[in-house]
This record gives sequence, C-alpha cells and structure tokens, in this order.
Amino acid sequence: MTRYVARRVALSVVALFLLVTIVFLIVNVFPSDPGRSIAGPFAPQETVDKINGELGTNDPLTDQYGRLLRSTATFDFGDSFQFKRPVGDLLWPALGRSAKLVVFGLVLTVPLAIAAGVFAARRRNTIVDRSIVTLGLASSSIPEFVSGVTLQYLIGVKLGWFEVLALAPQGSGFLTQLNYLMLPALALVVVYFGYIARMTRAGTIQALDADYTRTAVMKGLANRQVLGRHVLRNALQPTVSVIAIQIGYFFSGLIALEKIFNYPGLGNMIANAATKKDFPLLSAAVIVVGIIYMLCTLIADLVIAWMNPRARLEVGRA
Amino acid sequence: MDWKRLDRVRREVGPVHLDLVESYAQGKLSRRNFVRRGAIIGLSAPFIGSVIKAIGRDEDASTARALGNIPARRTAGQAGGTIKIAYQTPAAALDPVAMQDLGSYGIIAQCFEFLIGLGEDGELAPGLAESWEPNEDGSVWTFQLRQGVTWQADGSPFTSADVAATMDRLVEAGNAALKGVIAAGAVDTSDPNVAVFNLESPNGSLPYLVSLFNAQGAITPVDFEVGTTLDASPNGTGPWKLTSFDPATGATFERNADWWGGQTPLDGQEAQFFSDLGTMVTAIQGNSVDAIVQFSVIGGDALLNSPDFTVLELEATTHRQIWMGCSEGQFVDKAVRQALALTFDREQMVSTLFQGHGVIANDHIIAPFAPFFNDSVPQRTRDVEQARALLAEAGFEDGLQAILHAVDLQEIPELAQLIQAGARDAGIELEIALESGDTFYGTQWCPPEGDPPCAGAAELGIVDYGHRPFPDVFLNAAFSTGGVWNSSQYSNPEFDAAFKEYQASIGVEAQTGAAGTLETILNEDVPAGVPFFYNYFSGHSTRFQGVRVSALGQMFVEKASQV
Repeated sequence: MTRYVARRVALSVVALFLLVTIVFLIVNVFPSDPGRSIAGPFAPQETVDKINGELGTNDPLTDQYGRLLRSTATFDFGDSFQFKRPVGDLLWPALGRSAKLVVFGLVLTVPLAIAAGVFAARRRNTIVDRSIVTLGLASSSIPEFVSGVTLQYLIGVKLGWFEVLALAPQGSGFLTQLNYLMLPALALVVVYFGYIARMTRAGTIQALDADYTRTAVMKGLANRQVLGRHVLRNALQPTVSVIAIQIGYFFSGLIALEKIFNYPGLGNMIANAATKKDFPLLSAAVIVVGIIYMLCTLIADLVIAWMNPRARLEVGRA
Repeated sequence: MDWKRLDRVRREVGPVHLDLVESYAQGKLSRRNFVRRGAIIGLSAPFIGSVIKAIGRDEDASTARALGNIPARRTAGQAGGTIKIAYQTPAAALDPVAMQDLGSYGIIAQCFEFLIGLGEDGELAPGLAESWEPNEDGSVWTFQLRQGVTWQADGSPFTSADVAATMDRLVEAGNAALKGVIAAGAVDTSDPNVAVFNLESPNGSLPYLVSLFNAQGAITPVDFEVGTTLDASPNGTGPWKLTSFDPATGATFERNADWWGGQTPLDGQEAQFFSDLGTMVTAIQGNSVDAIVQFSVIGGDALLNSPDFTVLELEATTHRQIWMGCSEGQFVDKAVRQALALTFDREQMVSTLFQGHGVIANDHIIAPFAPFFNDSVPQRTRDVEQARALLAEAGFEDGLQAILHAVDLQEIPELAQLIQAGARDAGIELEIALESGDTFYGTQWCPPEGDPPCAGAAELGIVDYGHRPFPDVFLNAAFSTGGVWNSSQYSNPEFDAAFKEYQASIGVEAQTGAAGTLETILNEDVPAGVPFFYNYFSGHSTRFQGVRVSALGQMFVEKASQV
C-alpha cells in the first residue's frame, strides 16, 4: 500500500510539473503589457517600461519559467498585477470560501443522493424508484445558475428564510455562515442530487444482482450486513470516483453560482484573473485547482482500494 | 427686482462675477444655469442666494436643481449605525492617481477629498478649498484653502504643498482632464493656506477640473509616492477612515473623529463589491445592502417603483459615442458619417433603452442642460432619404458594409441593434461585433501600439463615456488632435482653435458663443455620432436619509442617518 501511495504521489508530481508548464505556455500566448495595465493607458512609456522591468516580464522566457517553477515549489507567486498585493493574500481566502461552499454542498448532497439511490435500487421498478430517477433527471438538467436564481428569489427574497447573498459578515458564527451558504448549497443539491443518486442506483442494482450478494444472503447474513459489507462497498466505487472529480470542478467551476450569490470564491477569481491578464494570480489559482484535482483523485483511489479487496490486491501487486 | 440689494451685490464683485450677475439680471440665463456658473467661478452660496433674491425672478423651482439629487426634507435621524453600500467591484488596486473605474472612484472618495466637492443641490461646493476666484482672463486661479484640516495617517496639517504635489503627480500621469491645462510646478505654494494655479492658458472651467468630477483629482499628501494604494497605506482628510479592504469582498470604514466637517451621524459604512447588477438588485430586495451606487433602467427597473427604495436620479452627461474613422476607411468622407448619423432614431433609443430617462443629443457632446449650451444648432433628425443622397454623393450609391464593434456592457448590445436596424434602411449594412471588455478596450478602442493611446483600431465602434458635468474632458481627449481617447483619429485645426477659445472664455456670452462654434463643427464633421445623454440612477433604502451621489460612482454618506 505504501508503495502504491508513493507511486501515485510521484505521478502527481509529474502531472503538476506538466500543469505548470501548460499554465506557463497559456499565459505567454496572450499578448499583454502588465506595465501598461498597472500604470494606466495614459502613463508615459518610461513609467511602463520601469514597471515591466521590475516585474521581470521582459526577461527571457527560460528565466520566467524557472521563476514559475520556483514559485510553485515555494508557493510564493509574488504580487498580483491587478491588486498590487501578494497573491497569497487573495488566493487563500478565496480558496477557504470555496472550500466552505463545496463542503457544505457535499454534506447536503452526498448522503441524501446516496440514500435515495440505494433506496430506489432496492425498490427497483416501483413508483418510488421511478419518481427518484425522474426527479433526479429533471433536477440535474437545470443549470445551477437557474436553480440558484430561482431559490434566491423564492426562498431568499419572497420568503426571507435565508440570506440572499452567500458571504457572511466577518467574524460570523458557524450557524450564521450556514444561513448565508444555504441557498447556493441547495442549488448544488438540486443539480447534483440526481446525478449522484442515479450513479448510486445503477451501482447498487449491479451489486445486488452479483453472485457475491446472493451468496451472502444464502449464508444467512442479516440484510444490514449484506448491504454494508457486500453491496455498498462495491456499488459506491463509481460514485466515489465521480464525487472526487466533481469536487475539483466545484472549486473552480461554479462561476455563475458565485456571481449570483456574490460569493468571491476561486471560480470567479480565476475568471477575473484571466480576463485582466493578472498572470501571477491566474497561474497560482490554476495550479492550486490542479493540486486539488490530484489530491481528490488520489484520495478517491485510496478509498476505492480500501473498499474493494480486488483493488487492494492490484495495489499490492503494484 | 430689488434694485438696492442688486446694486450692493454689484459693488461687491469683480468683473468676471459681475458679468454673470448681469447676464442673469438681463434674463440671458436661467436660475439653474446661474447657480451652476456661479459655482464654477467661485461665487459663494449666500452670495448666489442674495442675487436670486434681489432679482426675484419667478421660475419653476424644479429647474434650479438636478433631478432628484436634493435630498427629501430630512427628519431628525437616529445617530449611530452603519450603512451597507453596494459598489461595483474595483477593477484594480485603489491607486488614487492611476484608477480608471467607477468602483475605485467611489472608495477613494470616502477617504480622500477634493478641492471642490459636491453641494446638496448637486452643484460644485467648497471642499478642501473654501473659496476660489479667477483673475480677469482666467489664466490664474486662486484657491483659499480650508484650515484645520489634518491627514489621517499622521495628523499633519493639509497645506498648499499637498495641492501642488498632487497636481504635479496628475500632470506626470497624463490626467485626461488636466492635460494641456497645467504643467508641472503650476501651483504656487508660497502661502500654505492659498494655492495659486498658474495655467498654461486661460481656462474658465478649472474649478470643475479640480473637483470631484475629475475623480483622480483627489488631494493626496505631499509625500505620497506614485503607486501607493489606499488599502496599503490608509490616509486622507475625509470623513471616513478605511479599516479593512479586501478586493474580492469589500471594505469597511469608521468615522474619522478629526474630520473638519464634524461628527458624522453614522458610526461607519460597509462597502460590498458586486460584479453583477442583477445580484445588486436582489441584495437590495433581500435587505442585504442598504444602498446601491449605480444601476441602470435595464435590469434595475424593479427598484424604480419599489416603495421601500428611494431613487436618486441625476440628469447626467453619460453617453455613448459611435466613433467613425476620419483618417482611413470608409468613413473618411464626412458625408458618409453624416449619413450614418441621419439614420439614428434618437427618440426611439431614449425610450427603448432608458424608458425615457434621458435626452436626445445632436452629435456633439455639449448637453442641452449644460450651463453654456448653445441652442442655435439645428437638431439632426432621422432622414433616410437624405442619408441615401449623401452616401451617393460620397460614391456609395449601392450602400456600404461595415463592422460595428461594441462592448458587451449594459444597454450597448441593444443600442448596436437599433443602429444596425436604422442604418439598413439607408443601405448601410452593419455587422455587429460584440466583444468582451478586455478585447474591445484592449484592441478596438485602445490598440496596443496606439498613438494616441486610444486611437481606435476599428473604423466604426461604440464606446461608453461616464458623466462629466463639463465637456472639457470629452472635447480635449476625444476630439482634439492627438487626444488620448480620439478613437476616430479626428483632426481639425478649426476645432482645436475653437476648443482653445472655449477653454479661455469666462463670460457668459463668450462661453455660449464658443460652445456654439464647437457644437456646429462637431455636428457638421460628425467624428462620432452622439445620439443621447441618459440619466444616472442610484438610490438607497427608505430606512436611510441624507445620501448624496455624484453620477460618477461616488456616494457620500457623511450626512446620512437612519430614519
């Protein structure tokens, strides 16, 4: 197992190196003049040249690439072009905010969706099963920004049950923060409940029909033991993989939802940095999201290995 | 007419001021324009009041004020509390010299102040300067500075050295309003309480150029280093102290106990940053914020009729210019430019895009409500037949095809469609290229190698201009030869000379006459079509009172309180 983990970590480092290289290439494809962006359109060219010299944007590309590798290794990406302050001061708070929304969204979505998927699978072809499948299909076809706006207006503005904006005031307590995050988290539930529930249902049906489940039932195990030890361990493996990939997307892809609830997360930060050609911030944020993806898939693989004896066997061979 | 009082007034003033008083007394000026002009040349509010009383002309009171900017009669508000204000997210660091966006303007104006500020009637009013006056030809302006003003950072006194250093920094940065008006070292600081501006040439609008309407003109301390940001080094002389700032979320301010204006009723204010108008409106509806610095009719119409929301509507010079390349391309012949301008259905634009909250314009940028507007230039109206004839005269008998570049912002996409539909009737086929802000401003309007900076790479485009109560910036930057925003690359020595004459004019007749020349030239040459000016919308919850706005992204709450 240790060897497997070490190998996966080594592969992640290679992937990270490739990601940094790709980020560097993308950033340098854009025509840009950071000095002009900072000094404004009417500043004298000497001022612009001076700023560019200080930023090192006129240095040879190899030097700039070396600096980006060093920055990644030390997690020190310098100052944002746009905001003239250290990238970390902007990135880490945004990452923290995104993490709160992602965790709360998952806490609401995953147990509910897995329970619904298992419930539907065990009552296959009944009206309950059909209802869950149809509801899930319908809700997951609604883009999150549509469900977000609808929830915001109905539950936030009209009923006044939860805050219409997602960012709680500084120093707010845990429950207050949940109150603020509730509506965007519910929007995530609407969209991803159906997806995860259907995935779980399919896996559970397959596991329920498997020989090992029949054997477990025939040898007299209680239903709960059959479900816990044999069915779910096998049924949930695809679900775990899907959730792991979705977490990476949640961190960087909820741009519309963040905009609707005026929540300054990582998604909008990346979009804004790309639009404004704020390359230190953009590079750092994309690399952090890449690392989150890698960590999530690594953790998912380990969880699957723990759940599935055959996978553990393959890990041992590796 | 109270002749005795009027004579007393006449004896108190110099020639420039006297000219204005006489013009008003002879009925050449409305009361509103008298107030505006008086504010520009430094007449005090009591003096203006005494002239109006002496002349005693019965006028509709509504003409004497900007639309809605006079706060409703205030009740005794509750002291204390905080107001939450929705701002557009600042586009960059809070650099008072280099900032270029309304989000930054609004935040900077809470801490830093201007020589001339905003009065309760929406006109110019004393700020860090208590009074000002020009010499006879307007080439030297003297500002008496307010005493007892201190800097928040170290408690040192505000002096003329701060004013001089600020102006030098603006000159070095190429400030669009002051370019060509003053040079480095223009401000004489021999008296710390008096700032004497020695101009490059006579200029009747200088007070506007150093007022809050030139947002970068905020006075910064003498030792301020270019590039310093407000959040990195909080300072200012204003009523609010910045206590926290996060470029992604917002800022908080607390009362400046040492402010020269006394104690603010509110304890503090909280700025929340938004990038989307819809979210701002929802935040108001959901009581998550108390005020909104700016909104548009499209997208913000839910607020216009809300009983819980006080709308502040300002008559503004916010407008769009449809620039047409004058140096190369299909629009070089002014007949073609006139033809396109003749296809505009201006009334339809104002009614469709702004629900009537605006006025039609005449392809020049002196608004009909400007104090020196000259109404002698006939209004251009839609005339498709004449447009076709002009096109034929220019060699485009079969019409022409062009790409209309536009930024995807506010009502501009809809405006592009209206222009396209109107032009088609005259045989001008326009293809709309709708672009993101960075693509549009970075390549079409201000091409990377542009000289001047915003020389307009495209031959035809729509660019947005924010409110300025005086047209100097527009005239200087967008139409003067080599102007920094001259996207049509327009160059007309006659216009340049007329602009200089306009700048130098101070008296009522001279200013109106010079404005008439400029209007005629721009209307004739049409380097840019200007179909309308539209009103600026802002507002706040009815739980608050005493909020004022400038139509330039600045909201002032130092006199605001909870109802």
